[in-house]
Amino acid sequence: MSSLGRAWGHLTLPGKIVFTVVPLLAVLSAGLVATIVLFGGAAWDLVQSNLDFVRFLAAATITLVITIPVAFVIIYMELKVIAFMNLRVGPDRVGPAGAVQSVVHGLKVLTKEDFTPTGADPVVFTWAPVVTYGAAVMTLLVLPFAPGLYGQDFNIGLLYFFAVGGLGVVGLLMGGWSSYNKYSLLGGLRSAAQIVSYEIPLTLSVVGLLILAGTMSLNQIVQQQSGWFTDWFVFRQPLGFVIFFIAATAEGNRTPFDLSEADSEIVAGFATEYSGMRFGFFFFAEYVNVFILSALTVVLFLGGWNAPFPFPDLSLALDPGSLGIPLLFLIALVPVIGTLVLAAPFYLLRSSMRWWVALIVGFVLFNVVAGGLTFAWAYVSFDWVAGLVWFMAKTFGFVFLFVWMRGTLPRVRIDQLMGFAWKWLLPAALLNLFATAAAVVVVGS
Amino acid sequence: MTTKTGQHPSADDPRVIGQHPSADDPRFIGLHQSADDPRVMLDDGVGVYEPVPPYPPRTEREAEFYTLGEGEMFLNAGPHHPATHGVLRVVMKLDGERIVDLDPVLGYLHRGVEKLCENADLHQTIAYMDPLEYVSSLFCEWPAVMAYEKLLDVKVPPRAEYIRVLTGELNRISSHLLAMGFHALDLGGITPILYSFIERDEIVDLLASITGQRMLFNYFRIGGVNGDLNHDFMSRLGDWMSRAGSEVMSNTTLLNENEVFVRRNRGVGVMDRETALGMCWTGPNLRASGVPFDLRRAHPYSVYPELDFDIPTRSEGDSLARYLLRIDEVKQSLRIIDQCLHQMPDGPVTAKLPRLLRPRPGRAFAAVEGPRGEYGIYAISDGTDQPFRFRIHDPSFLHLQSFNVLAPGGLIADWMAINASLDPIMGGIDK
Amino acid sequence: MDRALRTRLEARFGDVLTGPLRQRHDETELRIAPKDVPDVLRSLHDEPDLRFELLADLAGVDTGEHMQVVYHLWSETTADWLRVIADGIPRDEPRVPSITFLWKGAEWLEREAYDMFGIVFEGNRDLRRIFMPPDYLSFPLRKDFLLPDDAARSPGEGARQMERANAPLATPAGSIRRTKA
Repeated sequence: MSSLGRAWGHLTLPGKIVFTVVPLLAVLSAGLVATIVLFGGAAWDLVQSNLDFVRFLAAATITLVITIPVAFVIIYMELKVIAFMNLRVGPDRVGPAGAVQSVVHGLKVLTKEDFTPTGADPVVFTWAPVVTYGAAVMTLLVLPFAPGLYGQDFNIGLLYFFAVGGLGVVGLLMGGWSSYNKYSLLGGLRSAAQIVSYEIPLTLSVVGLLILAGTMSLNQIVQQQSGWFTDWFVFRQPLGFVIFFIAATAEGNRTPFDLSEADSEIVAGFATEYSGMRFGFFFFAEYVNVFILSALTVVLFLGGWNAPFPFPDLSLALDPGSLGIPLLFLIALVPVIGTLVLAAPFYLLRSSMRWWVALIVGFVLFNVVAGGLTFAWAYVSFDWVAGLVWFMAKTFGFVFLFVWMRGTLPRVRIDQLMGFAWKWLLPAALLNLFATAAAVVVVGS
Repeated sequence: MTTKTGQHPSADDPRVIGQHPSADDPRFIGLHQSADDPRVMLDDGVGVYEPVPPYPPRTEREAEFYTLGEGEMFLNAGPHHPATHGVLRVVMKLDGERIVDLDPVLGYLHRGVEKLCENADLHQTIAYMDPLEYVSSLFCEWPAVMAYEKLLDVKVPPRAEYIRVLTGELNRISSHLLAMGFHALDLGGITPILYSFIERDEIVDLLASITGQRMLFNYFRIGGVNGDLNHDFMSRLGDWMSRAGSEVMSNTTLLNENEVFVRRNRGVGVMDRETALGMCWTGPNLRASGVPFDLRRAHPYSVYPELDFDIPTRSEGDSLARYLLRIDEVKQSLRIIDQCLHQMPDGPVTAKLPRLLRPRPGRAFAAVEGPRGEYGIYAISDGTDQPFRFRIHDPSFLHLQSFNVLAPGGLIADWMAINASLDPIMGGIDK
Repeated sequence: MDRALRTRLEARFGDVLTGPLRQRHDETELRIAPKDVPDVLRSLHDEPDLRFELLADLAGVDTGEHMQVVYHLWSETTADWLRVIADGIPRDEPRVPSITFLWKGAEWLEREAYDMFGIVFEGNRDLRRIFMPPDYLSFPLRKDFLLPDDAARSPGEGARQMERANAPLATPAGSIRRTKA
């Protein structure tokens, strides 16, 4: 007993917690399984009767979770693309061509010390990254990724987007104020001034588009742009598009408007005192914002999920279910036969190749072919696959543009930044609005 | 000034100027206090760093600076700030984002090189020169060997002079490229610095092939240089020279034609001719203010009188002019290198000198035109093999001083542009 | 060596010179008393046939017997460096008038000379230590500076056995390096 007690004494506090909680969880989960077995049927009925709520819950969870891989991909993209522009190699140690580098970064911030500086306001300091990240994630709810693939189809979707997206600055301001650091304070106030100023041209630049579309629902705006790519709003609102993109860059705190975390001026701005996962949240929120702003640009001006040209209707009249029992044979035999057929030429034509190497090559080739065929089948059969492909392609095109700007441009000064918003973007946005309204009146009447 | 840390003790404090304090004065309290000293800790136990020094102001200027006006605050930048080019600390007095006044605090890199040199023999002192301005080491060695050559009345062989000019101009190009890259980096552009490093890397590799070092060359010797040019160096230099001009210029287009960069620099940190001379400026910074002062022409040394090159000047005196002037200088340096390669005579690369050098008692001052301005050495010999006094004059020291003239009235971001365009190197400033 | 400059300088400043006017290589040396520094430098700076516009260097020197402040000037009227030596400053009370009214940039050069030699420049509005910490007591480039002695008086006083046991109280007068150069 004394040895057990000594072992217990050697445990650190987290260890003690783990040793207490894990058995407790085991017991609880066993109970849960028993409950499901006993009352599962009744629970299923409950889900059936509250399908809307369950759907909402699922959508919220998925939008929250999807941000993490998206941010990882964008961070990796930024590392690699800027490295390419700088004539560097970039990350190349973790994973093939360093592909897992951003995941490892994520793990690193998770394991770092979470530090609250002396003099900081701990409550505000802790909540600031949550607010910023939460605002970014909440805007994802209304973004239509593909036909039928969206969290909610609000009739005021765009308004909701701007309202919730504007909340992110509150988090930056909270972080800047509560850090008890002058650099943080300057960074927080800079971002507040910047985002409040750029919110105006950002919102005004899409009003012309709203006049044309006649709706604020992002879903319907996308549907109105279907057909050929000439139907996209970018060709009917070119000025609005340019203003929107510039203002979006400023909204996302991206170069050349990244004044709130200008590393050579105010160290790291509002994030100066943050470390560990709290910094990670700020960091992730920035990249999620890049994705969201790119996605919104695509949705509003570049046709969202629509392909640039109407795709010929090739949907196969083949319903796999109609095959019945032969489907099982197909699933069992096609990989074997495919592998053998693809392996044979290698084995026969290259005498130096061993039979098992040829088999492996055949199997890999088969997988590539089968994957491609499956994708093609999914593309022509399901609207949402095709839509998602086009949406993601366009969105990441814009993400690339953001990264490109970061690799190219220096930073503007705060007075130039504000002057640009109020003296150039705002009048241009108003001009765009009046021109659109006049055109609608003249042409529409 | 009402903070607890900034309390002024009585006016008859021993550390006022003119009264030399003694260690056993009970009123003297060192700054390095233990944690329970009431003056470094606030009452509630919150350790707060205030830039206001915990001793009475020693001068009028300090008292004036450390008194806050309405709505002003101090911002302490450095010694570990990303844009301070080393370990410079600058206390800024801010009104919002606008700089009201600022006070550079030096000494974080002070190594006492002058004192070290007084205890080393003449050859050893040259090695101490290299880490002063570590991006243009040859220009720190050069005035030192020139001063010793004056003290010893040594005649340097012409080939050695040409090699000095050749390697010096290579070093000038590498230093200017670095300055241009860091200028962009300080303004938030991350790519130009890496483009600058392409050519700079080639140059330091070239110099390493004759000196054995990439940064701290230790190549010049009293009466010549350490080792002749070798085949590796010559072949690579010819290769590099054939493409250097076009490549250096193509790398600068990313910035020169960049509207954001130009707007950040135009009209920022304007220095007029008279103030620049009054602040003892030299080098590209002075020439950007319209003064065609270049020691290579104004006080010719080495073989520069035999070489044909121009002294570019600009009249604007702002950060952009200082940046563009460096590009012009790179072009001129390439011209000089070309001429050196064509005119270089054969012959020995060092004068014949004894191992132990004991100059007669006397004084010598030598100065060369480095990438940042006038590097000067004032050496006094007392007849021993060690210099009696070894004064190092560094141009960045004086450029840094004019922060007080250039930065007030501008924004914090302007200070970055000014700092980058003045191109100070803290190793030389702090000695 | 600019002979014409020598004649001009001797004619102009003959009455304030405290030592011989020396010339060697490309340098011309002028020795004056510290009290004459502002007048002489103002003349050198302003007069149209001299026009020494550029202060190339300002150095403090401790010759072991007295202090000197050395100014190096450049002018387009001559091919020589002009060296002005304010000679004979007492070592225990070194005071020189400041020249910041001519060259504002001399402010930090004088601060450095104060920091290293303890020379007080009267009229410099910002004469405080520049390289050494503010609570430092010694002047490191003076010839009577002793490292162990200084360390013994530093805040980390007596941390090392060597310093406690062997620290001399003052530099022995015989070990001070002197020069007549």
